[in-house]
Amino acid sequence: MDLVLSRVAKNFGGLRAVFDVSFTVKKGTIFGLIGPNGAGKTTVFNLITGVYKSDEGSIHFGSHNLGPLKPAQIARAGIARTFQNIRLFSQLTVIENLLVACELQKRAHLAAAILRLPVYYEDENTMHGRAMDLLRVFDLDGVADEPSTSLPYGNQRRLEIARAMMLEPKLLLLDEPAAGMNYGEAEGLKVQIRWLRDTFDLSIVLVEHNMQVVMGVCEDIHVLDHGETIAHGTPEQVRTHPKVIAAYLGEDNSEFNTDGSAA
Amino acid sequence: MSANRSESERHEAAKRSLSPKRVAAAAGVFVVVLFLDFFLNVILPDSSIRQLLMLAACNVLAALSLNVINGMAGQFSIGHAGFLGIGAYTSAVIASHMHHFFGGGEPSFARSFAIVPACLCASAIVAGFFGFLVGLPSLRLRGDYLAIVTLGFAEIFRLIIATAQADSGNGQSVMGRISAAISSLGGQNGYQGIGNDGIPLYAGPFWVFGLAALLGLVAWRIKFSGWGRALRGLREDEIAAAAVGVDPTRYKVTSFVIAAAGGGIAGGLSAIMRDGLGIVNPDNYNFQTSFDAITMVILGGSGSVTGSAMGGVFVTFTVKAIELLQGSSVVQDLRVSVEWLDLNALRMIVYAMVIIALMIVRPEGLLGERELFGKRRAVQR
Repeated sequence: MDLVLSRVAKNFGGLRAVFDVSFTVKKGTIFGLIGPNGAGKTTVFNLITGVYKSDEGSIHFGSHNLGPLKPAQIARAGIARTFQNIRLFSQLTVIENLLVACELQKRAHLAAAILRLPVYYEDENTMHGRAMDLLRVFDLDGVADEPSTSLPYGNQRRLEIARAMMLEPKLLLLDEPAAGMNYGEAEGLKVQIRWLRDTFDLSIVLVEHNMQVVMGVCEDIHVLDHGETIAHGTPEQVRTHPKVIAAYLGEDNSEFNTDGSAA
Repeated sequence: MSANRSESERHEAAKRSLSPKRVAAAAGVFVVVLFLDFFLNVILPDSSIRQLLMLAACNVLAALSLNVINGMAGQFSIGHAGFLGIGAYTSAVIASHMHHFFGGGEPSFARSFAIVPACLCASAIVAGFFGFLVGLPSLRLRGDYLAIVTLGFAEIFRLIIATAQADSGNGQSVMGRISAAISSLGGQNGYQGIGNDGIPLYAGPFWVFGLAALLGLVAWRIKFSGWGRALRGLREDEIAAAAVGVDPTRYKVTSFVIAAAGGGIAGGLSAIMRDGLGIVNPDNYNFQTSFDAITMVILGGSGSVTGSAMGGVFVTFTVKAIELLQGSSVVQDLRVSVEWLDLNALRMIVYAMVIIALMIVRPEGLLGERELFGKRRAVQR
């Protein structure tokens, strides 16, 4: 299923956070959404996942019109995400974090759980098994029963991805997955992102500042600045695009030259 | 995964649901509470002690139900007395009418099997309905603002009962009939059954302790079900929970309904319990009652099922101990010599000191969110 944004706009009071943004994420691609700080990348994520409602334009995912849907319904439609500032369920253990994410796939509802019907045990068995499989993939199975906040930062990021994968999404939105990672960890992340796409047959949209990761894995890149699209294309096209260079480095280099720091 | 294996898993699961151990435990509890129903007055001839024990069981239920909102959902309700009161009045009225219908006489154990379930189901449904109404604003409000809504609700309930007058309004109009119906609940003097004969007290130890055990188990299973896990996730981070498909609206409102229904059962049971007062009074459901319920949950450890239950027992006995202290000769002598001493104020001071001390020593409550005994994993691997 393709994700199609057409002419999406969002204002916060007088601030134009996103304006006239259109792009299509084709099924199975790894798509990069980049831009300087404050370009509106995370706002776009929040619009896709229904945290914010767009003021103009439309967002479609396959046959679903995401416009009127609530965040939980969008998650059910097969879109999972991670967050820029990690949002784990801090009082819950690592595996419980994953188990919350499959609540909507269960057949056993509250009454069945209270009566401990066979279907409850079947569900718990299946979900627990799936959660452990995912934790093994992300090398977190050893800490399954630890409180989620006791994990080091990088593992918390990976746990967030694992939790998102528990939804069996068709589209995965990763908000700065490489933040705070060193060179080696970022290389590992690149491998994991490709592996996720190939293994689970999904599309991935990546918001990321780490160019090593973006240029390394993305097949299609969309560049925002001040809420507007300034470029779109393959990594090579984007890397050499004059507007992108201007947005990241500044158009006028005279400031750098006067204090000599650009030398 | 082969079909064979999932078939055997299904078989395993079916076996776990009705394992011999569980059946034996249920039968054991049944026999014990049945025994207590007939012999508790022999074991404990002092009716005030029996009353205290049964009150403790009712308070445990109140704490367990409040724990769903305040502990698991992370909302803050300070109006639980409203739900307790609604449950108490509902059960009191239905028990009185059914008793009347069956021809009065002594409340018999056989008849209680018709009356108690009917009363408590009605209490749960009526209180649950009001829980739904109060739960709706919880979607938009949080923290202190929601607390004020719940407090307002409880006070509105109490004041409507306390101030209703039969002769207000025209007897034929809709409003007149409603006010006549409400005023038949006795207003400020409390409801004492048909003809002020006292509410028939059908719920013996069998019902009170049996239901405390049964609903305690339900509370435990709610916490450790997927639903409870999702609710706790929602408490930790609403945006993240929504992003994994947990609908905050549904879960929050449902938690309010469950807590209110549980509160209704607790209140209903306390109104018709044997050795009870035989009267429900609006003043029993004031802010002090809500505050006691919150104290039980926080002292025991919010989010913890066993902790809330312990808190319920602890607070019941502490309040009783303070009352006994007030009656002791030392305090009475003191009161004679110091005329301005207010014993009710003394009670509040002691009570407050106990709470302050506990909050200093253990700010997370007796148990925190942990449980008294370890939970076996639903799945062993």
